[in-house]
Parts: sequence; structure tokens; C-alpha cells
Amino acid sequence: MKFELSEDQALLRSSTRDFLAGEWPIEQARKVMEHDPRGYDPAAWARLAEMGYLGLLLPPNLGGQGLGAIELAIVLEEVGRAAMPGPFLDTVLAAALLASAGKRDALVNDIAAGKALVTIARDDAPFSGGNATPTRFEGGRVRGTKYFVPFAAAADALLVTTLDAVCLVQKPFEVIALTTFDLAQRFGEVKLDHAATAIGSPSLLGRVDQLAAVGAGATLLGLMSRALEITLEYVQTRSAFKRPIASFQALQHRLADMLLKTESTRSAVYRAAWCVDTDAPDTAIACAAAKAYAGDASRLVCGEAIQMHGGIGFTWELDLHVYFKRAKTLEQHYGSTEAQIEHTLAAAGF
Amino acid sequence: MDLRLTEQHLKFRDELRAWLTANLARPWREELRDPNNNEDSLMEVRRQWQRKLHAAGYVGMDWPTEWGGRGASEVEKSVFEEESARADAPQIVNFLGIGLLGPALIHHGSEAQRRRFIPPMLAADEIWCQGFSEPGAGSDLAALRTSATLDGDHFVINGQKIWTTFGPWADWIFVLARTDSGDRYGGISFILCKLDTPGIIVRRLRQITGESEFGEVFFEDARVPRENLVGQIGEGWRIAMTVLAYERGAMSLAYAARFERDIRQLAIACREHGRGGTAVREKLGRLFVENEVMRANGLRNLANFADGNKPGPESSFEKIFWSEFDKRFRDVALDLLGPGGLLERSSAEARADVDWAREFLWARAGTIYSGSSEIQRNIISKRVLNLPQI
Ligand SMILES: Cc1cc2nc3c(=O)[nH]c(=O)nc-3n(C[C@H](O)[C@H](O)[C@H](O)COP(=O)(O)OP(=O)(O)OC[C@H]3O[C@@H](n4cnc5c(N)ncnc54)[C@H](O)[C@@H]3O)c2cc1C
Repeated sequence: MKFELSEDQALLRSSTRDFLAGEWPIEQARKVMEHDPRGYDPAAWARLAEMGYLGLLLPPNLGGQGLGAIELAIVLEEVGRAAMPGPFLDTVLAAALLASAGKRDALVNDIAAGKALVTIARDDAPFSGGNATPTRFEGGRVRGTKYFVPFAAAADALLVTTLDAVCLVQKPFEVIALTTFDLAQRFGEVKLDHAATAIGSPSLLGRVDQLAAVGAGATLLGLMSRALEITLEYVQTRSAFKRPIASFQALQHRLADMLLKTESTRSAVYRAAWCVDTDAPDTAIACAAAKAYAGDASRLVCGEAIQMHGGIGFTWELDLHVYFKRAKTLEQHYGSTEAQIEHTLAAAGF
Repeated sequence: MDLRLTEQHLKFRDELRAWLTANLARPWREELRDPNNNEDSLMEVRRQWQRKLHAAGYVGMDWPTEWGGRGASEVEKSVFEEESARADAPQIVNFLGIGLLGPALIHHGSEAQRRRFIPPMLAADEIWCQGFSEPGAGSDLAALRTSATLDGDHFVINGQKIWTTFGPWADWIFVLARTDSGDRYGGISFILCKLDTPGIIVRRLRQITGESEFGEVFFEDARVPRENLVGQIGEGWRIAMTVLAYERGAMSLAYAARFERDIRQLAIACREHGRGGTAVREKLGRLFVENEVMRANGLRNLANFADGNKPGPESSFEKIFWSEFDKRFRDVALDLLGPGGLLERSSAEARADVDWAREFLWARAGTIYSGSSEIQRNIISKRVLNLPQI
């Protein structure tokens, strides 16, 4: 048994960290978030493709690297640490979905090469759990409205879920921007009345959901571990009452809890990734539990990070709100905490 | 990364499972709730269980075979704990001896001490208790004042120990006593005392559950042979600390097995009492999720042990996680069970699956003993985060 990463995996971690530090220093990430209406930088996107990140999970014959869920988690943890904006997880998932359907190899190749942007449109209601009218696929057309479609405005095509199919819809489509407080993640509402092709049944989403839980969980892990790191630096330099505030036990105990939550998330996320890669019997439980826990934990840790910075923690200037907002957004997407709890129970036979 | 058990470990697990099935007459849960059992007879049940385990070679799992152990790996030890919890087996009666004193003797004791004390400890013929805490020294253990003064070939011991688990049943106690009042850590010695020694008096203390599982131990000029000193004079603190570190294992897996069983029982109880709906389901789900995360922590630690890493801060993480979770879980359980959850086990109307009322009260102890949650957080902030101390 071994929890530690293999040499190759450790190398992937350090090279991704270096790459993102060069490509996406936080100032750059913030510039794009705040000033680029697309929410991502196509030039940097092309470099991600060049480095092979976009085809991480795809087999080599589709332009991919043939890596697994652990590697996905490694890269996304770094994406979270860097707070890199853009549809990275969305495109990786869309590509995995297309590839598992065994269709549209050319499109999959284009996604990996950064030439096509495809995301998955799933939400049938603006509020989760609302009385949604499900999107329908009939007579070669997809009809309905999808909400919170990731990067809909920039997408070349969407994978639209309906009751009994997953369909591919090409642009153009009409997109109403749904601007949230998290500028790293753009969403749109898309009204669909489009010719479409079915690429498979909704059961294809099973594995994609597991990858989504691992990927989002890993991103949350990256966000919270970076927020904790920033906070640990700050509390040692900031003084109050003639002492570094890090010497106050009231803060020390909360910092210890932040570390406990972060490390517990790490255990859960990497266990889930390992389960996916080895097709372990408790994969469904492990994935859903990891995402559910990571969402809560990351919001709490990033929130504590703001609290421990005092007034400056509340400013736009400081980066911590970027992490906090990202955490809250991820908590709601890729299977909200509520939905993941339900998945966990269902998988455990409750 | 590889979280799979090896073929050899799987084989061990399967043998153990088969053995547990064949030898566990009925679940411990039922035994515990059998109104015919009182505290004394439960001790006897546990003693018999330990004897069975010992005969089958499952006591002292990771001790060298030379000293009656199995010489098993950390992984096998953890598999043993997890499977025992899953099978609802009783805890062995001599867990303080096996968990703490045995390793102390193996690492620091003399040949004669090992020969004298280890066999009856394994066989549950002599029950041990741990005399560390005092009324004035709990979290600040080194503030202990119980004194041991050499007089010829005897120590004369004076002072008081408190919160001594199994004190009322034990035959022997291992104590930390002060042999040099001027040296805070270096003036403490590790001494074995027979509880029927003249001058040693044990009194029962009643716990919030109503039971008297722990007690207090008074020493008034109690004369204990010098040969009962473990290690050298003044080495007690070091021995206690190495033993506590040695004891660290991946216990979360065993806790997760036990908690999962109880969460499932809680779900059944809710269904039977018509308590359902999304609010109830979400509460159960959150418990289940947290328990899975605890399991993941356990797997990670086990893998690290198996990979040859030394135990580190994981033990503090595990301790905080399971004990704080236990409290929240039992809170939610009583919340969902309503007034029925408060019924004592002697009550015929009480649910027969889990003694919910007792578990709720017991959960208060986990965040206090073996280093309180606050002390664990101090350890993390000092040794892991390296934060400035004042
Ligand atoms: C069920 C049970 C069984 C036990 N069994 C045994 C046994 O078999 N043998 C044995 O020797 N002992 C045993 N103990 C004793 C146990 O180890 C002590 O109770 C424990 O170490 C706490 O010490 P205390 O009770 O003196 O509390 P105190 O040390 O007085 O602590 C009181 C409160 O102050 C907090 N506190 C103390 N110091 C700090 C600090 N530096 N920073 C922040 N907070 C702090 C504590 O966390 C706690 O909340 C048992 C206790 C229980 C509850």
C-alpha cells in the first residue's frame, strides 16, 4: 500500500505548478477574470493544449495523454491553487463524455488541441431542485432551456442532456449571460430549439459525474490549501498587542482545524481518484463523499482565511475573495453538496 | 498510489473473518444491552473474549513473537481492529496493558520484567490500569506530584491518581511518579504497583453514564519493590512518550466501521418510527459523508505505515476527527430518535440495536481523554504548523 504519488505523478505535480506559476500568476488570473468578457484567455488556452493538459484523460489516438483520475486530480489541485480561470474542467469532462460515447473523434481531437470549446449543459432550472421542464430531444431537435451552462458564450458546441439522450448541438445559440460573483467561471442561459445529434444515453454521465466530483473536489482542495498557505504567512508577519497574531491560541486552534479539513479533503479526493482508476467497488461512494466534504471544507477554510486577515481580508485588492468565491461556486456545481449527499446515500443502499 | 491490500493481507483478513464468525457467539451490542449483564459481568465477558483471542494468536498483534505476540505488520493490526469493529466484537479487557504497558516493557523493561508480566497480561489473568493523571495534573501531565522515594530496595509512594480507567477491577497499575522534585521532565519514573499493596486504596468514581468504570487511586506510604521500576530512575517521561507514539495506528478504519454500522442502525430506527423526509435524509447523509472521509484518512495513514513511514501528526488528526465526529453523530442520533433516544438500556421499550443514550453520553469523553481536542490542536499548531509559542 502507498498513498504517496508515483515519481511520474510527482513530476506532473511540480511541472504543472511551474507551468501555471509562469503562465498564470494570480495577477494575470485576476486581469483575465476582471477584464476579459470571455472569462479566459485564448492564447493561454492554446498553451494549455500545447502542453497536453486538455487531452489529459484521452487516449493517445485521440490526441490525449491517456492518464487517469489521479492525474486529473493532481492537475486540478494546481489549477485551484493558481485560481486559474476558464473552462478547463468543463472541456476535460466534455471530451471524456464524447470519448466514452465512442463518437466524434475529430471533435474530441479538436478539444484536446484547443481548437474547439465544448461544455456540458445540464441544469434544467435556474434554481436547483425547482420545477424544471426537462429539455427534450425529439425528431432530431433539442428543445428547452438550459441554465448555468459553463462558458456557453464561448462554446463552439454543447453536449446537452435530455431525459433519454445526450445530444450534441453546434453553435450558434442564443446565450443570456448569468453573471455570478465568481468571475473565473462564466455561465449562460441557453434557449435551445436546435437540430442535434444524439451521441449516447444518459448512462454515459455516470463516469463523467465521478470524474467531475474528483476534478471539482481537487480544485477545491487546491483553493483551500493555497488560502491556508497565504494565511499562515500573514499571521506570522502581522502583529497585534506586541505579538505576532500567530501566537494567539484562539487563532492557532482554528489554523489547526483548517489544516485538518484540508488534509482530510486530500485523503478523500485522492482516495476517490484512486477508486475511479482501479474501478474499486466503493467508487461511487468515495467520489460523492469527497465532493460533498470538499465543498463544505473549502468554503469554511477560505472563509476563515478572510477572517484572519481582518479588514484587509474584506478588500477586493487582496486575492482571498477570489478563492472564497471560487469555492462557493464549485460547491454548487458538478453535483451540489445536496446532490452528492444523496448520491452517497443511494450508493450505500440507504 | 495504491490503496489495495496485498494478497497476503487479504488472506489474513479472510481467515480472521472466518474466525470471528465462528467464535463470536452473539454481537457485543446485544451483550452490552442484555439487562442480565452488569458492569462486573461485562468485565468477565470481555475477559473471556480476550482469552479466546489470545488462544487464537490475536492479542499483541504487532509484538515480537518472542514475547507472545504475532509479529504482525501495522496493516494486519489495522485489519484486525477494523474487522473486529465490523463484526461487533467486544473490546479486550486488558487494553491498557496490551496497548501501553506491553510495548513499554518490550522497549524499556528488563528481561525479568517481561518474563514476569507479559504472559498474564496477554492471557487477561492480570488486568492493568494506567496511573498517569492526577487531580492537579491532566493536560499538564508533567505537573504530577505523586512521589516515589527510595528506601533501601523499595520505593515509598505517596500521592493520588485519578480518572483511572478500570481502577476498580485492575490487579496492577503502572504509574508515573516523581523521583526528583527539581527536574520537571527528567524527575519522573515509571513504576509498576500491585493494587493490593498495603497503603494503596482504590475508590470508584461515578461517571455521567451512571457507571463506575474509572476510579481514583490513593498512595499512602505504599512500599513497592525497586525491581518494579521500568527503565532507569528519571526515564519515566521518555518511556511514556515513546509508548504513546508507538501506540499510534490507523484507528480511523476501525472507528469508521463501527460508526457506519451505527449510522445504518439509525436509518433503520428512523424508518421504523416514521421519521423520514429530506431533512432527516440529509442529516443521515452528512454523517455518512463525514464517516467516509474519516475512512479515507484511515486508509491514507495505513498506506503510509505500510510504506514504511514513521507515525507523525496523523494521530492528532485522527484523534480530533473521530472524537469530534462521535459527538456530532450522537447528537444528531438523539435529535432524530426524539425522546425514545433517551431511554436507558434497562428500559424494555428502549431500542435494542444501539444503546443510543449511553453512546451520546460516552461521546463526551473522547474529546477529553488521551489528550483533549485542545491539546491535539496545540500539538498540530506547534509541531506541524510551527507557529510561534509564547
Ligand atoms: C473516560 C476517561 C477515562 C480516563 N482514563 C484515564 C486513565 O485510565 N488513566 C489516566 O491516567 N488518565 C485517564 N483519564 C484522564 C484524562 O487523561 C484527563 O482527563 C485529560 O488528560 C484532561 O485532564 P484534566 O481532566 O485534568 O483536564 P484539564 O487539563 O484541567 O483541562 C480542562 C480543560 O482545559 C483545556 N486545556 C488544558 N490545557 C490547555 C492548553 N494548554 N490549551 C488549551 N486548552 C487547555 C482542556 O482541553 C480541557 O478542556 C481519563 C479521562 C476520562 C474522561
